[in-house]
Amino acid sequence: MSTAPDQAGVLDLLLASLARRKATAQVVDRAEAGRATARWMADAGVARAVVASDQVVEEIGLVDALRREGIDVLMWPTGLGSREALGLEGPLDVCGVTVPALAVAERGTLVLEASGGHGRGIDVTSRHHVALLPADRVVRTLSEALALTYADGRTPPSAVSLVSGPSRSSDIEKISTLGAHGALTEHVVVMS
Amino acid sequence: MSTRRRRADGGVAYLDVQGTLRERTVDALRDRTLRGNLDTAAASWGEGREGMRRDHGLDEMRERAREIRQSNIRNLPALLAEMQANVRDAGGTVVRAADGAEACRYITGLAKARGVKVVAKSKSMATEEIKLNEALDDAGIEVVETDLGEWILQLANEHPSHIIAPAVHLNREQVAALFREEAGTDDVPDDREGLVAHARVRLREKFAAAGIGVSGVNLGVASTGTICVVENEGNARLVTSQPRIHVAVMGMERVVADWDEAAHILQVLPMAAIGQDAANYVNLITGPRREGEADGPEEFHLVIIDGGRGALRGTEFEEALACIRCGACLYSCPMWRSVGGQAYGSPYSGPIGAVITPLLEGPSSPASRDLPFMSSLCGACGEACPVGIPLQDLLVRARARASSPATRKSGIAFRAWSRLWRRPATYRAWMAGWRLMLRARGRNGWVTELPGPGAGWTEVRDMPARWPPRR
Repeated sequence: MSTAPDQAGVLDLLLASLARRKATAQVVDRAEAGRATARWMADAGVARAVVASDQVVEEIGLVDALRREGIDVLMWPTGLGSREALGLEGPLDVCGVTVPALAVAERGTLVLEASGGHGRGIDVTSRHHVALLPADRVVRTLSEALALTYADGRTPPSAVSLVSGPSRSSDIEKISTLGAHGALTEHVVVMS
Repeated sequence: MSTRRRRADGGVAYLDVQGTLRERTVDALRDRTLRGNLDTAAASWGEGREGMRRDHGLDEMRERAREIRQSNIRNLPALLAEMQANVRDAGGTVVRAADGAEACRYITGLAKARGVKVVAKSKSMATEEIKLNEALDDAGIEVVETDLGEWILQLANEHPSHIIAPAVHLNREQVAALFREEAGTDDVPDDREGLVAHARVRLREKFAAAGIGVSGVNLGVASTGTICVVENEGNARLVTSQPRIHVAVMGMERVVADWDEAAHILQVLPMAAIGQDAANYVNLITGPRREGEADGPEEFHLVIIDGGRGALRGTEFEEALACIRCGACLYSCPMWRSVGGQAYGSPYSGPIGAVITPLLEGPSSPASRDLPFMSSLCGACGEACPVGIPLQDLLVRARARASSPATRKSGIAFRAWSRLWRRPATYRAWMAGWRLMLRARGRNGWVTELPGPGAGWTEVRDMPARWPPRR
């Protein structure tokens, strides 16, 4: 999956869209990404990280950085029982760490693909969600993202989640309230 | 306004909708809290929608959305066959149900065969239409609605008031009272954040216990056999990923050809529905979990419901099948904004509900007779529809279809009247007779009571006994 040029403009658009969708974001150098991510999570009070088993996670040395911050790390699949996986047991401040396959600049949308190393519930079962996004995975429109995800000749993933900001409900008095069922916070670490 | 009541044994009994449409409407108009809640909801929708028109060209996106949906409906049999084959290739099971009863039988049968005691649901109008909760309840299976608004309604024993925002007619204090009753404790906060956090924990318990997750389907994408479930809370993702079995219930018209079409409709939907350029979560699901994956359902069942839809193709109501259930026509409708969805007494309310409910329920249901008249024909619905369904025209056709023997009789009377008035001689004779009659019935210069068909008219207004009236 490769993306078009004009990457700088698209990246600015993504950052603006993420802010509009009430997600936070930071742009860091790849060499700094592991440490910066771990520091953000420690500041957010994260006790445990549930981390997608992905090459990007290894490349930035995230697991060591998290442990240095005193955060308990569980790689996917975690092997937790269903009650603990749902946050009914164990620490409350769990953070799911995902690696989006793509991101949509216009809408502030992360494209998460399920696979053996990347559970479909990682972000939504946790209280916090951190996404590690390589900058060259940002496309402008949802149409482009879906065309790449479901390209001819590629086996469609069993599950793809389009995530645009933290969980939200407007069911009480039509006023938007964060953290309904899914993550209460979403933080995107864009790695240049 | 409750249409269900709790049985003594704790189960839920579903009553037929109470009263006539007229009675329910009058009740709703008298309910000031309801009016306030509806006003708030409609105003917030209107504001969001203006933003979408201004910043994202929602009006320009409408033409393409209309073309996509019209072509989907034209090619429906082929698209469904392709969808079905691709879901099966991905390891899923596809069931075509002719009606709601057949769909319910399949799902309750599946639950019993797998020994499932608890079913967790995400919001789905199709399951409301087929009365799935009632069927599961009758089979002794606990059903939990996990969408916050739907769960609130389940606790209140009510039907949804709106396609997208089911509990828009209840305010914060009313919700807090329901949560206290459900939890059996007064220890429930009454601020919005606190209420949402409370519901999150209570419902996680249900996800842990559920053996089947039931979701609706916003779109089926034929080219890959993928279903799209659009939501904001994250409960649909939990429903489709945590229980061992996922059952998706889809109206047969909800299929698009490919991802190019899906991308367009998936963007139009949240803009029209909630005035946002994206929903928080869109779950795209192609079959069950695969080998080597650690979460996701082991079984995936797609139940495709006809329920009267197939018969609409090729009729003057075909365009109603293009509907993507966004709810824009509800908010735009002055009738719906005045009385809310519950007065309609059917799962689908507002202009689209007034058109499709009679079509899906058949000509003999009370809805067929009354609902097409729940409209001022102002045309705001047609203007709001993001897929360009001419709802005001369909409402007129639905009224014609609803014409009962009684209204046909009045048609004959109108034709006779028209014949009399077209000739000057008979017209003059008619008017002379009319003036005499008014003068004879007049009291103090006013006629306050007319006989026969005129009685309805004078019930609410008087008529001068002389013309021109004397001051």
